[in-house]
Amino acid sequence: MKNLKHYIYIVAGLVWLTACKPEITTFKPSHGNVDFTRYIAVGNSLTAGYADGGLYLSGQENSYPSIMAKQMQMVGGGTFTQPLFSTAQANGSGYLSLTGFTADGTPITTAVTSNLAVRGVLPVPGFGNVILYTKYTGDNNNYGVPGIKLLNITYAPYGNLNGYFERLLPGNAPTNTTDYLDFVTAKPFTFFSDWLGNNDALGYATSGGAGDVLTDKNTFAQLYSLSISKLTATGQKGVVATIPDVTSVPYFNTVTVRAILAGVQKANPSVQALYISALVSTSGTAYAPRPATASDLIVLTFPTSKIGQPVSTPYGTLPYGLTPYSPIENQYVLDQNEVALTEDYVSSYNSTIKSIAASKGLAVFDAYAFLNNIKKNGLVVDGINLNSNYISGGIFSLDGVHLTPRGYAIVANEFIKAINAQYGCSIPLADVSAYPGIKFP
Amino acid sequence: MRKLLLVVLALTPVLAFAQGFQVNLEGEKQIGMGHTGTGILQDGASVFFNPGAVAMLSQNYVQGGISPLLFKSDFNPSGTSIQNQVANKVATPFSFYAVWGPKSSWWKLGLGVYTPFGGLTDWGNNWTGKYALESLDLKAIYFQPTLSIKLADFISIGGGFVYNRGSVDLTRAIPLSNQSGQDGQAELKGTGKGYGWNAGIYIKTESGMTFGISHRSQVNTNINNGNAIFTVPASLQSSFPQPNQFSSSIPLPATNTLGIGIYPNKNWVVAFDFNLVSWSAYKALAFNYTQTTAALQNTYSPRNYQDAVSLRAGAQYLATNKLAIRFGGGYASTAVEDGYVTPEAPDANRVYVTGGLGYKIANRLDLDVSFEFEHLMPRTQTNIETQLSGTFETNVYIPGISLAYHW
Repeated sequence: MKNLKHYIYIVAGLVWLTACKPEITTFKPSHGNVDFTRYIAVGNSLTAGYADGGLYLSGQENSYPSIMAKQMQMVGGGTFTQPLFSTAQANGSGYLSLTGFTADGTPITTAVTSNLAVRGVLPVPGFGNVILYTKYTGDNNNYGVPGIKLLNITYAPYGNLNGYFERLLPGNAPTNTTDYLDFVTAKPFTFFSDWLGNNDALGYATSGGAGDVLTDKNTFAQLYSLSISKLTATGQKGVVATIPDVTSVPYFNTVTVRAILAGVQKANPSVQALYISALVSTSGTAYAPRPATASDLIVLTFPTSKIGQPVSTPYGTLPYGLTPYSPIENQYVLDQNEVALTEDYVSSYNSTIKSIAASKGLAVFDAYAFLNNIKKNGLVVDGINLNSNYISGGIFSLDGVHLTPRGYAIVANEFIKAINAQYGCSIPLADVSAYPGIKFP
Repeated sequence: MRKLLLVVLALTPVLAFAQGFQVNLEGEKQIGMGHTGTGILQDGASVFFNPGAVAMLSQNYVQGGISPLLFKSDFNPSGTSIQNQVANKVATPFSFYAVWGPKSSWWKLGLGVYTPFGGLTDWGNNWTGKYALESLDLKAIYFQPTLSIKLADFISIGGGFVYNRGSVDLTRAIPLSNQSGQDGQAELKGTGKGYGWNAGIYIKTESGMTFGISHRSQVNTNINNGNAIFTVPASLQSSFPQPNQFSSSIPLPATNTLGIGIYPNKNWVVAFDFNLVSWSAYKALAFNYTQTTAALQNTYSPRNYQDAVSLRAGAQYLATNKLAIRFGGGYASTAVEDGYVTPEAPDANRVYVTGGLGYKIANRLDLDVSFEFEHLMPRTQTNIETQLSGTFETNVYIPGISLAYHW
């Protein structure tokens, strides 16, 4: 009997040992005096969780608003519902998938075209074709609409021109008349994040300054002021973000003039320069050919195989990109003057954002400074070495503009830090290492 | 043209050795007394604690003991409520000693086999710091033949040769995920060896106090041709050639100890040990791979350890002829400077308390049990290399048992 008692003590002792883990509480989650009951996210593709050149279910699930909302729920935040694609149509708009590398290390991407949520194509006279997606009905907290500009938020017919917005509206295009700002503020909310304005500059930049225009600075300021007034109409608190320097993304830094020229010179050492069609002056609209320099940014989607192909010109058949008479076309190049022009606009937009946010006492995530710093210095988080390089950098997805889940988690944490700092609350940070980067075959 | 060089992934397997890796479990009698044993005579464990004292042992010994060790670490990433805890795994440091010499002779031979360094931490593949470390299983077994000589009735000296057989098995996640979102993994697995020596002196004074001084040398342990196993998505495997080997060298530091024994009456022994561990020898950790690529480079990580001290005290009370009660405790300073703390052995200043019982089962047979609780102070750190930022706190629980036969 006595022995048995000893055994019981020993077993009880061992159980106590395994149960007795240290626990550290350095951080007390608290919402301070902020009400996170109904958080809404206002913004564009970045807010929607767009990645790899498309909007699809797994990207939506890793959107920065959903990551933030999960963290907010630890301090009393409410349910956060997103307009997710169904599992049957999980690939949404379709997206790019990395399927391999060529022998020289060039990544091969392949479009995913199965299980899409495309319901039709609507030709809009004078605008073009609008792809329509399966409607989302039900509660919604994430109003991220890929492609939307600040310029569009009060335009009533916009619901007929953007399939991602149309998808959220009850009516079918072309009968929609609710503008974006009215739509997102229709239902009461207690907290918001607002990251609009990127496309007002990015649309111009990604098209090499050819397919779009920069939103006028004053128009931007008026619309920004209007939208923030409306979002804070009943005293809601919120967080806004500045617009990244368009040149901080790999879309403009991966295919470089130097790399293309080096490739050409390997085959033909006599080639001295690449020629581009460049903006002559930041104050004008005239384009003229000139030799490309390192300050001219070639877009990620430029088909480099075009270089050297015969082009018929008034001066005869000439190799593409290698003579002033057959320059690389405008839409593939954000040339030095276009860069300067874009940067000037972005810097004006950002002054607007910061001063309006300050006047309303809103938290600000300075995405401009943050992404520029990553471009310059890289970022090490939890033992992961990240930078702004295409694919290998780990932050940007395969389209070179939007982020990986890991990139979105990093952004969500920056938003949270800004909210915590501004409002004295303590939303716990997300675990960046738990979110994946690029998926390799 | 859109050529992509996968950047250097800074694959630096961070094998840190800290006080956390100094095991200090080399004899149950001594553990019970707060790890003191350099300035007193207890049993064959003197081979480890002070080879100079071996010749003063009045008997011959064969003994063995084991101290199953539970290392319970918690990591709380900064700005979160997340608790990352190591898995329940039991490490098994052990010690074996044999001491023999002719009755009442001026010399004795000894052999010690013990585990002065080691570590077993398993954080799993799902925690915040997985890219710094998933798990580490590290063992160093020292084999030490020893000769001790009594120069006079009050003084003896001794020395031993040390052969170390070390083994390491380290895994960490690589931030390259496959199509299902699973991380890659690096595993470094190998064995190595090293050599060293130790020596000591033992003095009995007329006042009855005893003194011991011992030196255990640095043991540079070289691992050659360890297996470097990289599991990465197939399209990147050529950047991580397989099979591949690594080599590395790690200095296991020298330790200098001064011990004192005081005997208030015939039932009491009080002992003090003061240790200086020369961790400053550990400047950097370098790994060289047999095959390197643009993504997999040889690595060199600064460690810049500082020397550490530990202060130990303990006592033994003979309750009856057959039963000894022991207790003790101590303090050890950390070898790891701010910015260099890693999850392998999240080192910090530590305190410990110990207790033990010794029972004479028979005239020539001792059974000793010991228990130790060790607490590593919470330490909030951002590692310079990984930027892993948060607070570590660790408790260690070590029961132990040994049998000693003496004649």
